[in-house]
Amino acid sequence: MFEQILMALINGILLGGVLALLAFGLNLIFGVVKIIHMAYGQFVMLGFYFIYTFHTSWHIPLLLAMALGIAAMGLIGILTQLLVINPLLNAPRLNQLLALASLIIVVENLAQVIWGADYRGIPLSMPIIQFGEIFIRSSFLIAFIGAIVTLWFLYLFLNRTYLGLGIRAVAQDLEMAKGMGINPKVIYYITLMTGGALSGLVAAFFVPIYTVHPHFGASFTLMAFVIVVFGGMGNLMGGFISAFIIGIVTSVTAVLSSKEVADIVALLMFIGMMMVRPEGLLGTES
Amino acid sequence: MQAINKYGFYGQIILLVVLVMLPFIITSSYLNHIMTLILLWSFVATAWAYMARFGMVSLGHGIFLGIGAYFPTMMFNYWSFTPWIGIWVGVAIAVATAAVLGYACFRFGLLGDYFALVTLAVAEVSALTIMAFRETTGGSLGYTLRATGKISDMQFSDKRVYYFIALILLIGAVYIWRRIDRSPIRLALTAIEESEIAAASLGVSVIRYKMMITLLSAGLTALGGALYAQYVTYVSPDTIAGVGVSLSVCFKAILGGMFTVLGPFVGSTIIVALEEYVRISMGASFLGLSQIIFGISLLIMIIFLPKGIMGSMSLAISRKLNRID
Repeated sequence: MFEQILMALINGILLGGVLALLAFGLNLIFGVVKIIHMAYGQFVMLGFYFIYTFHTSWHIPLLLAMALGIAAMGLIGILTQLLVINPLLNAPRLNQLLALASLIIVVENLAQVIWGADYRGIPLSMPIIQFGEIFIRSSFLIAFIGAIVTLWFLYLFLNRTYLGLGIRAVAQDLEMAKGMGINPKVIYYITLMTGGALSGLVAAFFVPIYTVHPHFGASFTLMAFVIVVFGGMGNLMGGFISAFIIGIVTSVTAVLSSKEVADIVALLMFIGMMMVRPEGLLGTES
Repeated sequence: MQAINKYGFYGQIILLVVLVMLPFIITSSYLNHIMTLILLWSFVATAWAYMARFGMVSLGHGIFLGIGAYFPTMMFNYWSFTPWIGIWVGVAIAVATAAVLGYACFRFGLLGDYFALVTLAVAEVSALTIMAFRETTGGSLGYTLRATGKISDMQFSDKRVYYFIALILLIGAVYIWRRIDRSPIRLALTAIEESEIAAASLGVSVIRYKMMITLLSAGLTALGGALYAQYVTYVSPDTIAGVGVSLSVCFKAILGGMFTVLGPFVGSTIIVALEEYVRISMGASFLGLSQIIFGISLLIMIIFLPKGIMGSMSLAISRKLNRID
């Protein structure tokens, strides 16, 4: 039993890394464009399908297929900004939320029409690493390391480049950023493209772990969403920390009881946080 | 304004007469079924808009629908407890749940986006709970009501009975809306929406008024869910609990216009009809395709009619009547 919990703990940490990457995209979009991307998990699902198609139908080598999938998702991100978010920039909050929620219907059913309702995956045999009684799947480890490295690059991008400065400026004070000569529309496109590419990257990390089906994204949208709000909306560090908290809690609870109970516990933690500290773990009071 | 009210009054009388006559003119049982669904969802969407029009946008009404649908159904299947009473047990449980949730939210001063987010999480908890207790609730496969065909079990040989039950409920919901409009509750809630602190300093009991409208909205929503379950005789977390149905109720009310009394009805009519139309015209082989068209239509309507159909219409009419301003 102890080994099982320890293993769940390690898996939780490893999963937390990937969830942190997932939450980062959502958080970035929220922080900069001030929109809750309700269909983010569905984008991961779409990215997964792209990689699947590139690899199995078009016989492109897997790594190249992943790179293409990431690029395609970046393009989808730009299209989302162009077709859905731009017309709604000044609309009431609720309308923006519902518009992106209706995007869920579109994307899920698009996947159903194109790829069917079957579970699809790319069979890969990844070695299992053993430490005494503890087994770790190397696919989890690769995803974790990849996610942390990506997050580090994103940190450098936001803090050390001129473009990153522009993105942070728009997130902090839109009017002032405009006054400084930043075109927010361009920043929005770049943000959505980055967010889209990140969803593609998360999909790439998921390829050796999961199989995909049209409703694959739903649970990830909610999880990413819980993480972002739990850590403080728009606060990237808070999202990073809460990804690990949520990852560990859900993974340990899932071993102790069931997956549904694990999700319920995560949601109850989220509700409790909202009651006590609505600005989230590291958020600042608005 | 006078002129609009007069036209509106006659319009509503005509609408009512048409709605009463409709099931006798249209005898197709399929169309009657769709009309019943429209009225049931209109009722639920109206109950949802009670709260939403005062700035309390709940994305978690799925929990009340779920409680209202599951409790009477399960009590009937397991204990043969008649739905005639079971429904009210379900409504009572939903109201009690709303009291706990509402008090927690309002006591901690959750407003706007945060309220919406918490209720969204609550909706997902309701669906997950149904799935976690899959031995008793049937989990995500759903749960079918035992068929007896007896009136004492709320099962009628003529399905049109449910049409009239739904119609009466909708009229009741519209009547309550009007009563709220004429009562101090509306003024209090409007003041609270503008500024809770200012309202409280003027002696308006913020939590009490918010609780009042929340309990009313939750109770009516649960009643709608209960009747939906009795009518369709099948419940599942996807169709009557969780995030999906909560959002679809919002869609209906917002597309129709949640600040006008008939908005939720108009929105439900359009969405249910559109969903059925694309489903039938595409056929079963392109089930996904019809949903894509449905989703895109929703998207277009949200982008181009931000105030909802009734909202945009009444704005256009009042502009026409008062050209001076």
